[in-house]
Amino acid sequence: MWKRIVTHDELIERIDALGRERRLIGPVAREAPGCHPPLRYFYEHVTRAAQLSLDFDYCVYGPKAFVLPPRETLFRFDRSAGTFVATPIMDAQPTALVGAHPCDLHGLRLLDAVFQNDRPDEQYRARRSALFVVGIDCARPCDARATCADWGTNRVVGGCDVMLYADPRNCGNNRRNAQYAVEFCSEAGRTWLGDAGRADDDAVAVSAGYHARKDAAFTRRLSASVEQLPALVRASYDSHIWEKHAARCYSCGSCNLVCPTCYCFDIQDDCDFNGAGGSRQREWDACMLPDFAVVAGGHNFRLLAAQRLRHRVMRKAAWIQQRTGLSACVGCGRCDRACTASISLIDMLNEAAQEAGNAHR
Amino acid sequence: MIDDLDVRCPIPDRGAAPILPVPVEGVQAPRPRIGIFSLTSCEGCSLTILEQEDELLSLLGAIDIVDFREAKSGADGEVDIAFVDGAVSSPHDVARVRQIRKNARILVAIGACACLGGVNTLKHAQSEHDYRQFVYGDRAPQFPTGDARPLSAVVRVDYELPGCPMVGAEFLRFVRCVLSGRPFRLPNDAVCVECKRRGTLCLYEKGETCLGPVTRGGCAAICPAYGARCEGCRGLLGNEQLRIFARNCLQLHGTPLAEILDRLRLFGVFQGETLPDSQPPDGPPT
Repeated sequence: MWKRIVTHDELIERIDALGRERRLIGPVAREAPGCHPPLRYFYEHVTRAAQLSLDFDYCVYGPKAFVLPPRETLFRFDRSAGTFVATPIMDAQPTALVGAHPCDLHGLRLLDAVFQNDRPDEQYRARRSALFVVGIDCARPCDARATCADWGTNRVVGGCDVMLYADPRNCGNNRRNAQYAVEFCSEAGRTWLGDAGRADDDAVAVSAGYHARKDAAFTRRLSASVEQLPALVRASYDSHIWEKHAARCYSCGSCNLVCPTCYCFDIQDDCDFNGAGGSRQREWDACMLPDFAVVAGGHNFRLLAAQRLRHRVMRKAAWIQQRTGLSACVGCGRCDRACTASISLIDMLNEAAQEAGNAHR
Repeated sequence: MIDDLDVRCPIPDRGAAPILPVPVEGVQAPRPRIGIFSLTSCEGCSLTILEQEDELLSLLGAIDIVDFREAKSGADGEVDIAFVDGAVSSPHDVARVRQIRKNARILVAIGACACLGGVNTLKHAQSEHDYRQFVYGDRAPQFPTGDARPLSAVVRVDYELPGCPMVGAEFLRFVRCVLSGRPFRLPNDAVCVECKRRGTLCLYEKGETCLGPVTRGGCAAICPAYGARCEGCRGLLGNEQLRIFARNCLQLHGTPLAEILDRLRLFGVFQGETLPDSQPPDGPPT
């Protein structure tokens, strides 16, 4: 399975080649004065591979925005000529996402399941098929909040064209000495790498113990297995834990919006000044926002923050998994980090599981 | 103490507010007459209209501006829509805003001063006598100013476009909604929503207690995008959010309630008495 070892220089050369054909997106380090550590990483547009920080811990936001933009125009309409004409807006330039961690690749897989398989979405499909993805393994827990090991989302099972594993023997302090073991996940990935690197069937980076050692290094854990979790969380539907945590909740929607798998959107029309035309816009929505569930007539069927919180947790831990077969939580810890009220999804899941487990006994 | 808090919030949804007659297919609707008026303010909100350069020609093609001190000599008369910035802080302002109301089919308060009282309300920390003395000295009797109030304290206001200054894009959206006979609503979401949509690093990561989680968004979260915490110029989302915020600040961030309320005074969101910096009702900060 492990076909190739490439050096850092070879990889950079191949990424630059990619950048000549496509828009390059990847992890970029940004100074964050006052933060600890004073550096944060963001998936951003770069022009040269040297601008990327492939040894990043985590990106503050996932790569969702590159396949589902926060705001986009779906179509423009015009009736100035006497007839109604709608023109779809397709914005799908060839793009390469380089350096996506396994959690984010799992996030992409879920978005694929929703927008490509469930109800095909033309704009999403166009962007996704124009996207070339190079994943890179994180090798170690990125943050104390990460629970990907328990969700099984710290290992890649597709969602990219090429997967890279940094060889820990050669990283050291000098990045230029780094080597990467390469796993091909698509024919396009094989074509991209071409002749670069050397064949190596037993790359050390991905030796038998690699994943086990990585899994064991995570400190934040789910108290129930992912197989049991959906049933346990469902059993806690009428629990008081939702009200307990919602007492601190502003309903600001940050947890949804930073989530690499939250895909809900709102659609609004806008008219031009002359009234003859306009456009239909889509933007990210969030089920924690107070007005999310307002329907015609003004009725809100999830009026309370506790109801919205429960709804969100049910979707993350049970409902979406049931519908797509994929986990809707990839364990990246972004929602917990984004919550200024210190409400933790993992805490709620653990409490729900414990409560349901106790009741069962 | 926290449960007694009461803040001024712009009203997001004026479902019953008037709109102009809906344009009829094939009939050239008359261009609405617009007046832009200023009370006690820097008139920055009026200027925001002139800063919409990219849309200005389309805007002017759809409306007739009949009165706009920042841009042309005016003539008071009836208007379809009156946009008013500034707070009401003198008998002159009171008479003027009443006249504007009388002459306008739709009255829109623009900016923090007109919606909340704005920075003008900072003077309320002193007595009326003291601030008038401070500003006008011996001539104070010739300048009958008083406390700064939002327009809604004096006249019926149909719509509010908050912010310091108001958001240009929101003003344009409002005009487009009114022109096409569609309802206009302010966003009912926190500033956090737009920080997340823009990909801004949360200021709480730097240990700052930004007002974003409790402030009405719609401003594209411009302050946090440039590293400055939200100061709540668009008003709070509601009293419930403020209560949660006050409690969380004490318990999670160690920020005393008095500090939060002081910050809410900047734009007149909160104008109560100075509260003693005492323990919260639900125990000391943990």
